Amino acid sequence: MKAVWVYSESDAVSNEVASAAVDVAKGAGAEVQVLELGAQRPGVFASGGKLLLKGPPSSPTPGAAAEAIARAARELQPIAILTGATRTGREVASRLAAKLRIGCIAEVSKLGADGESIFGERNVFAGKAVARVSCPFPAAATVKVGAYPRLAGGNGGLQEKDVGAVSDPVKVVAREAKSAGAVDLKSAKVIVSAGRGVKKKEDLAILEELAKEMHGALGCSRPLSADLGWLPEEHHIGLTGVTVKPELYLAVGISGQLQHVAGMKDSKVVASINTDKDAPIFQASDYGVVGDLYQVVPAIRKALAARA
Amino acid sequence: MKVAVCVKHAVDETELKLDQGGRPVLGGAAGKMSTFDKNAVEEALRLKSKHQGEVAVFMVGTADSKKTMKEALAMGADRGVLVSADPAAIDTFRTAEVLAAAIRRSGPYDVVICSEGSSDTYSGQVPPMLGELLGVPYVGYARKIEVSGQSAKIERSLEDSVETVESPLPLAVSVVSEINEPRYPTLIQIMQAGKKPIEELAADAVAPAGGYRQVSVPSMSSQPSTRKHVMIEGTPEEAAAKLVDALVKEGVLK
Repeated sequence: MKAVWVYSESDAVSNEVASAAVDVAKGAGAEVQVLELGAQRPGVFASGGKLLLKGPPSSPTPGAAAEAIARAARELQPIAILTGATRTGREVASRLAAKLRIGCIAEVSKLGADGESIFGERNVFAGKAVARVSCPFPAAATVKVGAYPRLAGGNGGLQEKDVGAVSDPVKVVAREAKSAGAVDLKSAKVIVSAGRGVKKKEDLAILEELAKEMHGALGCSRPLSADLGWLPEEHHIGLTGVTVKPELYLAVGISGQLQHVAGMKDSKVVASINTDKDAPIFQASDYGVVGDLYQVVPAIRKALAARA
Repeated sequence: MKVAVCVKHAVDETELKLDQGGRPVLGGAAGKMSTFDKNAVEEALRLKSKHQGEVAVFMVGTADSKKTMKEALAMGADRGVLVSADPAAIDTFRTAEVLAAAIRRSGPYDVVICSEGSSDTYSGQVPPMLGELLGVPYVGYARKIEVSGQSAKIERSLEDSVETVESPLPLAVSVVSEINEPRYPTLIQIMQAGKKPIEELAADAVAPAGGYRQVSVPSMSSQPSTRKHVMIEGTPEEAAAKLVDALVKEGVLK
């Protein structure tokens, strides 16, 4: 039986990718196998079956994960290997593709397959266009995070395969969670996001207050975290930062570069405040206010207080 | 220390036009150095200034993409290697394959640096593929690199954590844009860049194609916009009140 393999270092992402794999397997007449490395993972679900690779450590580096999966793939010949498009998942899939000399489609959603190829859709040019991409089997793919529902159960049968010990010359010596108590932008229903229109770091306080009053979280565009360092980098929403899709995204003083919009364009409703009526953010918004954030934001807070 | 840095002449997404059918017009589209590649070049130059040596720039591109190579040379890189191929016509694996062959041909290098992904297609695949094809340790998403002797200590920035890793040299690494602030070349540097050597190689000559079936892009279309584009007028107070009303009506504000 032809197999589509799924691997992610994260249980939640693995369960998303497993949903995507079902569509690929259906089109190609194959079955889905979800991989576990080194040890079983009770939080990882599979609609078909699971394949436990013995030999690698249970929390492998991307290099060790790719080596273990490649060894198994050379022998068992899956038609496709899917990972989540996380930083680790991109590395694992790319390394696998290079080891196996197969193509890899990136950041895809709407996956499918026919008898010969895997295909999907992805954003390109910072979200200005959508490309349909395709690759003949055998192929690898990284699946866009958040594009599929998480499989919530199912375990199928468990197979085991010993691939031997694997090691990586890259050694992890420390791991630290990004700023404790950091806002979880991914799960926030409302996000107030700050841009270069904010004149001083201290002024972020009024946006933080506004976010609090809206029961939301504070994000920012790249310059505020990367160039000015006013907020830690995990607040950065955009192509190279966090991708979010809240119910309400309120962009304050953000010009709306494509790289920023790429990180928030799946939001349900987008509202923006900017002094420049031609700012590109208005093209990406449902509601726009041309005005000075230092006047409009206090007025919004007053309007919110009046409702309460 | 010998440092290789890879750059891409990317489609300038801000200048990209769409045709009447909503498809991007790639023929003759304006190009620029991929935004985050400036951070990769900057990091290579910082390693050179700390450890001496040289910085060589590698790029897959056509003749009209030379301005990106010249920009890297103007920033301070010593020489360039341009592998001629149309980046839009080859996929990530083929790109990594010809880059690896070109790097191997003029190397060895102690450190090979890329940015985490290109600003136009942002697949993030070439750097890890390059590490594999060169057969060296690979570290992705570095936000800090410290080299001492024959090893490097690197901070990797992941979604929710920062990992510190150690790796022997030679190694390949991708960097995130938070790692540094890229320099702007001076006018004199821009003029001098014209005199720096650029070696030109044909892709098929450095790495014969074959034995591999590429990713293809059967079609492209514009991103459909479903936004309402309602502009709210009035004094700040009036606009704020109307905005709050609209958001409550949308059911996104309680």
